[in-house]
Amino acid sequence: MFEKAVYIHSIASIHPSVSEPADRIPGTRLKAEEPDYKQLIPNVGARRRMSRIIRMGVAAATRCLQEAGEAMQPDAILTATGLGCLEDTEKFMNSFLDNDEGLLAPTAFIQSTFNTIGGQIALLLGNHAYNNTYVHRAFSLESAILDAALLLAEGKASRVLAGSIDELTDTLFAILARFGCWRNAMAGEGAAFFLLADQPSAASLAQLKAIDMISSPEKPGEAYLHAFLKRYHAEEATILYPEEYKQYCGEYPTAMGFGLWYACRQIQEKGLPAVLLCNSFLDNHSLILLKQV
Amino acid sequence: MEQLKQELKEALIDTLNLEDMTPQEIDDAAPLFGDEGLGLDSIDALEIILILERNYGIRIEKPSEGKEIFYSVDTLAQFITANRTK
Repeated sequence: MFEKAVYIHSIASIHPSVSEPADRIPGTRLKAEEPDYKQLIPNVGARRRMSRIIRMGVAAATRCLQEAGEAMQPDAILTATGLGCLEDTEKFMNSFLDNDEGLLAPTAFIQSTFNTIGGQIALLLGNHAYNNTYVHRAFSLESAILDAALLLAEGKASRVLAGSIDELTDTLFAILARFGCWRNAMAGEGAAFFLLADQPSAASLAQLKAIDMISSPEKPGEAYLHAFLKRYHAEEATILYPEEYKQYCGEYPTAMGFGLWYACRQIQEKGLPAVLLCNSFLDNHSLILLKQV
Repeated sequence: MEQLKQELKEALIDTLNLEDMTPQEIDDAAPLFGDEGLGLDSIDALEIILILERNYGIRIEKPSEGKEIFYSVDTLAQFITANRTK
């Protein structure tokens, strides 16, 4: 359990359409529905150099701060990604081949690094606070949330902007198809950002109560989930299994970001007192317990 | 020369991802860098160096001359015409 309470003040997500999931079958490629970036990233000079994943991440972070309803600077910016800026990485690697390992363009290299999105958010906000990016496969977002909870508990921050981003490129989709990854899953992508705070507000969407990460070839069973809920006195929680939200967002390392957005909506719209959000991606399994504020 | 300028403008738009801009909107004599004109920056300068080397076989030997060469599409086109190897 977190030492100090962690509240979700606002949330924003860019994800595939959440309508008509019945039409979707394994092997389907779900693309994020992107907003008009000119509205969310009005700085033309900054926007023109951003690839798709950077735009998605920066736009989701901007929306999240706008949702908070105040002009504010977070005390920390934490980003999480399983595979990073793939489009720029592919562009940079292809330029190695096309130009015989010479004459490499700087932009794709600069933008291919994992922490580009966190850096761009800070640059656009003019924010000089703690800025960290977590790249731990399916534990990336969970690690960022854990860092946020520690910053809040230690009193080093009172408001933390945390989020996750992953993109699906043609190359990634084709490579993972050859590995058979889409036999039982839909391919997805998305960006989700959360403003986490140590104090509740009238607009708080939910309280983060606990997080758990398990590395195992086996998914945590029902007995494990119920013992987890009992430990945190949340036996009344609704369990949200991965299939329930991944039918909308598809499979990707940080699908938990969309899951968290979806769980917050369920709490708000259905008045659920608590939700246990579960994720499984290969051998990485994680649980996040949320409670109504 | 006009064809070269058109080619250069298309390469700049494509490489520097100058959104919503057409070659016709780039003034031949307007400064490429700074607040006036296109407002390009130092990373864009590196991309233009690569355009010169890849497309025209030109290496900038004296970086100090870069400011004059890269001033506008006009100055770039003149430099390319005088120094191109392909």
